[in-house]
Amino acid sequence: MNGKKLLAIGVNLMTLAFAAPLFAVPPALSKLAAVDFKPPKGERFVLGNGMIIYMLKDNTLPVIHMSAIIRTGRINDPKAKIGLGDITASLLKDGGSARYKPEDIDKTLEFLGASVESSMAAEEARADMTVLKKDLDAVLDIYADILINPAFDAQKFKLRKDEALELISRRNDDPAREAQREALRAFYGATHPYGWRTETTTINAINGEDLKAYHANYYKPNNIILAVSGDFASGEEMLARLKEKLGAWPKGEVKFPIIAPVEIKESRQVYFIDRDIAQTSIVILQKGVKRHDPVEYPLSVTNEMLGGGLSSRLASEIRSRKGLAYSVYSYFAKKPDYGFINASCGTKPETYSQALSEMLNQFELIKKETAPEEEVKRAKDSMINSFVFRFATPFDLISERALYEYYGYKPDYLDTYVDNLAKVNPAAVIETSKKLFKPRDAQIFIIGNSKKFDKPLSEFGPVTVLKED
Amino acid sequence: MKISLLLPSILLCCAPLYAAGEPAPSEMEKLGASIEKDPKFPPVVSYTLKNGLRLLILEKHFVPTVSFTMMFKVGNVDNEQGKTGLAHLFEHMAFKGTKNINSTGYGKEKIALDKVEIAAKAVIAGETSDNPDPKKLEALRKEMAAAELEADKLIVKDEYWKIYNELGESGMNAMTSTDYTGYVVSLPSNRLEAWMTIESDRFKNAVLREFYKERSVVMEERRMGESDPNRLMWETLFQNAFTAHPYHNPTIGWMDDLKRLTRTDAEKFFNKFYAPNNATLAVVGDIKPGEVIKLAEKHFASWPKKEIPERVYTKEPPQKAEKKINVFFKAKPMLRIGFHNPGFNNPDIYGLIMVSEVLSNGKTSRFYRNLVEGKELALYANSYHSTPGNRYPSLFVISAAPKAPHTLEELETGINEELEKLKKEPPTQWELDKIINNYEADMIKQLESNSGLGMSLAHNQEILGDWKYDWTTGAELRKIKPEDVSRMAARYLTRDNKTMVFLVEPEKTEGK
Repeated sequence: MNGKKLLAIGVNLMTLAFAAPLFAVPPALSKLAAVDFKPPKGERFVLGNGMIIYMLKDNTLPVIHMSAIIRTGRINDPKAKIGLGDITASLLKDGGSARYKPEDIDKTLEFLGASVESSMAAEEARADMTVLKKDLDAVLDIYADILINPAFDAQKFKLRKDEALELISRRNDDPAREAQREALRAFYGATHPYGWRTETTTINAINGEDLKAYHANYYKPNNIILAVSGDFASGEEMLARLKEKLGAWPKGEVKFPIIAPVEIKESRQVYFIDRDIAQTSIVILQKGVKRHDPVEYPLSVTNEMLGGGLSSRLASEIRSRKGLAYSVYSYFAKKPDYGFINASCGTKPETYSQALSEMLNQFELIKKETAPEEEVKRAKDSMINSFVFRFATPFDLISERALYEYYGYKPDYLDTYVDNLAKVNPAAVIETSKKLFKPRDAQIFIIGNSKKFDKPLSEFGPVTVLKED
Repeated sequence: MKISLLLPSILLCCAPLYAAGEPAPSEMEKLGASIEKDPKFPPVVSYTLKNGLRLLILEKHFVPTVSFTMMFKVGNVDNEQGKTGLAHLFEHMAFKGTKNINSTGYGKEKIALDKVEIAAKAVIAGETSDNPDPKKLEALRKEMAAAELEADKLIVKDEYWKIYNELGESGMNAMTSTDYTGYVVSLPSNRLEAWMTIESDRFKNAVLREFYKERSVVMEERRMGESDPNRLMWETLFQNAFTAHPYHNPTIGWMDDLKRLTRTDAEKFFNKFYAPNNATLAVVGDIKPGEVIKLAEKHFASWPKKEIPERVYTKEPPQKAEKKINVFFKAKPMLRIGFHNPGFNNPDIYGLIMVSEVLSNGKTSRFYRNLVEGKELALYANSYHSTPGNRYPSLFVISAAPKAPHTLEELETGINEELEKLKKEPPTQWELDKIINNYEADMIKQLESNSGLGMSLAHNQEILGDWKYDWTTGAELRKIKPEDVSRMAARYLTRDNKTMVFLVEPEKTEGK
């Protein structure tokens, strides 16, 4: 078995030569060096008003990027006004500011080929800016004003609300996306912030005052980490500009809602939406880990082996060997409270039970049998050797640094990440799998045409039939 | 004027990006390569091997990585009649290894694979016969499964992928379009020779093992598309706008064709089109161009040049009808509109690019201002000057969705009003200047990503004939005058050149 030998010896061209005797390998290249890249630290500043700034100079192109991470997220929406954070974020720019009308912002930015975009994710809000160096002054002035003094123009607010309502009416157009969203909703419960979605009633409940109050609470300098990279003369010069535009923004207290602990069902449930579509979507969810649990290192390696790419166990068995799916993968999401482990697959209804059984079986297998050393090593090599791609550009790098501080990681998290992965061994993989994978208790979510199913769903556990809405 | 001032400043500023590692011209000349010296363009090194493989190399530094794009001029248009989807299925097969990779020994394996092929052809004949005999078919399928089982024993599973995993790949993928097939991967830059070793073997010695399993994977990919209304809409638009030209066919293939494709078909296709003289390789990143050239000579020079068959396909006859198609699908309404464009070799295309940008570039565009805001008819409204391909005349397209309570018909009327207005009144100079500025800014931002830039260099060289295409297009766009934009809109966005696809919820067809 050449493959086994190849993997046992590791990554170098000699082993390629072993696997493939036809290759002529020059002796000078017989060993591949490790990837030698220590990510630059960049600079970190704190303004008098508490805003944290990460900065990395990069004079290769006449472009400047900024990204502000604002500490909030969809999970902070009030229960009766789900969607408030999203609408507030999207109206920062579109709703104009104290000194700029919405039309003037659009005209200026678009004429300069610059962009200012603000958005809301589950656990973070963002305001991003990209601008050619020559236009920095004009665009930074807009950027600062929309962050500090957004006006939430009433007409733009109505338009955005109407769009949100329209999107709700369209949320089930694509069944594969529907499956992912509804699976999480069933897993965490429809009333928990980790699982909820916007509804017509929650959008309609939002008024203009809510936007202002939301902004006044969360958009404060001491609640923001700003990443900056690009073509400026020096850190001091850029810092002076930022102080001028953002330094007078007063700090203040931010109130965060208390999010109820998650409650995850401890026994198998099958949730099902019956829909006449060509492909069945399968989502398996299991209880995951909290954000700073060091189990993330062995879990990352384990997940890479299980469902991380086209040579992973799930893809190998379900896709390449059996031809049952184009899309099959697993991943895990860390959260402040318990995150989730997701395994997903799309297959025709006639083979849904084969695919689902094999997915569950792969979770059992990795718990039961210690994985071969070379498989664990390959997964680690894959992650360690491609680590450098997290920093493809200076802006990627400095944004990552800002993000890890935002999520509360230790300052050396990125710099020790590779070493921590390298420590993972087969024993850690099986221990982690035994601890975290409980496929028998997994929550299974399926959308598909039951008339064509090869086996009844009830073979996989108690079934709750849901209506699409 | 703004534009003329902007351009030189951009180019000067670009210089430091390359200055550090810019290859010495004399070294390049000794190797027989040429280096772009015009400061309007990045200093790309061009080199062509004797077998016709063209290299485009750009040295860029920050992280020690390199991005590879191997672009072949072969796409869905090049399939024979009845074999749609073959170009794409082959692309999947190109990850299945070679005579050396994924194999415990090709000699034995070949015999086993040939047995699978005989069994598979019998199954296909049985399945596609007018009166399939279920019992006989069952027996044939069993025979095929047994043959596959034997062949699979000789495989080193997923070895090709595993090698790249260990090398530390990022973004390993491939893409097939109507026009081209591209293979991309980024690696730490000290893997340069590893890439050369593996990929030269891949394209010289491909073995299409596990073919029928992968065909099933592609069928699932097709089903995924059938479940997604957006994909269904595009497929329906191309299918109806093109009647004679192969842009009519979906790149994923018609299901009926997929069911009949064989490994023999895919091997023929490979032997016909996968040749060094039908490809461009772009290498962008932390490398030395001289090193890339030497290693490419070492590993790719023995890849034999082939006679690529002349590719003449039925030209799409002028459309002389307004077409409207209702697709019934359980999703909210949306529409796609296509107008035939004159193709990339026709200078009218530049005016059409401007038409599209005036209509839909950003929130100051006409569609956004008047349809999304203004009349509030649309959730979104976009346009693009050329889809699904660029090798042949394709379509100027509009995609939009109505916002309730407005209907598709109201949205269509709103779109038509915008088109008619543009035909009659030239856009303002501000609208055109804005587009040029955006284009220039995008050209700079494009240089940030190694993989994105590599893709664009390889595509533009291999498919449009010039890696500088994006830069020269900028120059052409600057020549467009407001009245040209109206003239192009009037020439191409006409009723007899128009195909519309509306997505309608099935309930409505039953009068509910």
